[in-house]
Amino acid sequence: MKSKSSLRRQSSTLTLRAWEFTGTALLTLFIWIFLLVFLSPLSYMVVTSLRSSDEFRDRSAPIYPAERLTYVYQGTTYQLYKVPTPDGVIHDWALVKPSRLSSQFIDPAHPEQGLIDWNGSWRSLDGVFHFRIYWDNYINIWKAVDYPHLFRNSLIIVVLSEIGILLSSIAVAYGFSRFRIPGGKFLFFLLIATIVIPDSITLVPSYVIFTRILPWNGTYYPLIVPAFFGSAIYIFLLRQNFRSIPRDLDEAAMLDGAGPLRTLISIIIPQAVPAIVTVALLHFFNTWNELRMASLYLAIRPDLQTMAFSAQAFPTYGFTPEVLQTGAVMLIAIPLVILFLSQRFFMQDMVVTGIEK
Amino acid sequence: MFNVKRAPAPRSRSPKPDKHLSLRKYEATVGFLFLLPWLLGFLFFKLVPILAALGFSFTNFKMLEPEATRFIGLTNYLTFFKDSSAGASLFGSISYFLLSVPLEMVIALFLAAVFTSERLRGKRIMRTLFFMPSIIPAIAIFIIISGLIDVNNGWITRLFHLSQSTPLYSLFPIILSLWTIGPGFLIMLGAMQAVPKELYEAARVDGAGPINRFVSITVPMSSPAIFFSLVINMISAFGGVALLDRGLSYSQSLSPMESYITYQMFSFSNLGYASALAWIMFILVMVVTIILFRSARYWVHFPEESSDDEI
Repeated sequence: MKSKSSLRRQSSTLTLRAWEFTGTALLTLFIWIFLLVFLSPLSYMVVTSLRSSDEFRDRSAPIYPAERLTYVYQGTTYQLYKVPTPDGVIHDWALVKPSRLSSQFIDPAHPEQGLIDWNGSWRSLDGVFHFRIYWDNYINIWKAVDYPHLFRNSLIIVVLSEIGILLSSIAVAYGFSRFRIPGGKFLFFLLIATIVIPDSITLVPSYVIFTRILPWNGTYYPLIVPAFFGSAIYIFLLRQNFRSIPRDLDEAAMLDGAGPLRTLISIIIPQAVPAIVTVALLHFFNTWNELRMASLYLAIRPDLQTMAFSAQAFPTYGFTPEVLQTGAVMLIAIPLVILFLSQRFFMQDMVVTGIEK
Repeated sequence: MFNVKRAPAPRSRSPKPDKHLSLRKYEATVGFLFLLPWLLGFLFFKLVPILAALGFSFTNFKMLEPEATRFIGLTNYLTFFKDSSAGASLFGSISYFLLSVPLEMVIALFLAAVFTSERLRGKRIMRTLFFMPSIIPAIAIFIIISGLIDVNNGWITRLFHLSQSTPLYSLFPIILSLWTIGPGFLIMLGAMQAVPKELYEAARVDGAGPINRFVSITVPMSSPAIFFSLVINMISAFGGVALLDRGLSYSQSLSPMESYITYQMFSFSNLGYASALAWIMFILVMVVTIILFRSARYWVHFPEESSDDEI
C-alpha cells in the first residue's frame, strides 16, 4: 500500500516534470520560430550577398548559397542536371546538346559510354548544386566604395558627438536629480515636453541658422555641436537612474569635503555605468545611422559623407541585386558587432518608472 | 567642558538661517550650472527655432530671395486647407500612427510577457536578436525588403508564387514598424522583471490563472514602462527621434507629412509654407501627447515617490 502510493506520487511528479519539460520545449520552440520569421529578411540579405550573379538569377537554385556542378567533356564545360530515366533512377548527367523535345546527355561517371539520348524537355529538369560561398561581391563592393574613408568620417562624427552627449547629458541629469532649484519642476516638465517635439518644426529655422547665420553648411558642426547641449530623452533616462542611487553615499562624500563635481565623478558615475553605457550605445546607433542632418548639411561635400549617407545612393549606382544586399550587410555590420559585444550591458538597467515625476 | 562648548551655540544661532539660505542659494546656483548646457540647447535649438518657424509661417519666406520676404498673414494656413496633397500627407501620417503603434505595442507587450516566463531558454541571446532589427538603418531595410519581395527572385514571391508584388509594397511600412519594437520591448521587459515575485505567489494562492495574473498584476505594475514605450513609439511614428532613429532622411520619412514638408522646403524652397505645415504637425503631435498624458491618469499607476520628491 505504502509503496504503491509513493509510486503513484513518483509517477505524478514524473508526469508533472514531463509536462513542465514539454511546456518549456514548446514555448522555446514557438519563440524561436517566431524569431526565425522575424529575422528571415536578414537571412535573405546574407544569403544573397554570398551568391554569384548567375546563381541569383537561377530560379532552381537552392535556398542556401550554392553553385551549379559542371562537367568538362572534350574541352567544353557542361552543366549537370538531375535526369530521371524510365527505370525510376535519377542520374546526374551533363547536358551536351539541349533540344526542345529530346536532348543528349553525358554521364560523368561513365564518359566512355558516349552521348545518351533522353526524351523530354530539359527545361523542366533541376540543376545539380553543391554548397559554395561566393565572396566576390564583398571584394567588388570594397573596390567600388571607399569604405575606409567613409568609416573614418562616420567615426569622427560618432566620437565627437558621443563625447558631447555624455558630458552634457550626465551633467544635466545630475543637476535634475540632486539639486533643489527654484522652478526645477517646471524645467523638468519642459524637458519632458521637448522629447515629443517633432523634428520637422525645428528643421527650417535650424537650416537657416546653420547655413545663413553660421557658415556651417558642408561641415560637421551641425551634426556635432547640438550633442554638446544634451538630449532630452537621455537626460530623462539618466536622471531616473541617478535618482535610484541612494543619497547616503554622496552626502558622505560631501561631508568629506567633496564638491558637487567630485561627487558626480567619484560617486554617481561609477554606480550608473550600465545606464551610461546604454545611453552611449543608443547614441552610437543613432549617430551611425544618422541621415537627416547628413543629407542636409553634407550634400555639398562628398568627401565628408558618412557610411549611412553613402548607402543612400546605392540604388542609383547600378549595382546588381546581390551586390546591393552586400552593401546592406556592410552598412549594418558595425552596429551589429557593437550590439553583440555590448549585450551584457545594453538596456539591462533601464527600469523606467514614472515619466511624469 | 560640554557646557563650555555648548555655550556659544545660542549666540551663533542668529546668523544660522542666513548661512542656511546661502547654502540653498549655493545649491541652486550649482544645480543651475549643471542644467546650463540643456537650457542653452533648449533655447537655441528648440525654443528659438519653434518661434522662428511660427514667424516664418506668416510670411512668404523663400531661401533664395530673403529680401523679398513679406508678411502675408494666415495665407499659408489657408493654403493648407486648399492643398489636397498636404491633406493627404497629414492623413497618411495619422493613419500610419494609428496602424503601426498599436501593432508594435501589442507584439512588444506579448514578447515581454513571454520573456518573463522562467520556462523560456536562451533569453539573453534572444533579447539581443529581437532588438537587433531596431538598429538597422532604414536604407538597409529598404534594400532588404525590396530584394525579398522582388518579382523575379525574392523569397516571398518564390514562396507564395506571386506574380504581382503591389499589395506587398503597401505592407512595407508595417514591416518596417515591426522592426522597431526593440526599445519598447526591452523597457517593458525590464519593468515586468522588476515586479515583486510575492505578488504572483499571493495571486496564485487566491486561484488567479496566468491571464488573470497578467492583466491584474503585470500590466498595472509595469504600466509606467508601457506608457513610456507608447510615448516613444508615438514620437517615432510621427517621424521624430525618440530612443532610436531609423536613419531616414526627411525626404523618405515614414511619416508622409514630414516628407511633404521637406518637399515644400527643398523642391520649392517655400520656407514660409513649410513652416506653416510644420506648425500644423507640431500642434497635431502636441494634441496626441496631451491625450496620451490625460489618459495616463486612468491606467498608469505611478509609484509613490520617496520623500526627496521636492527636487
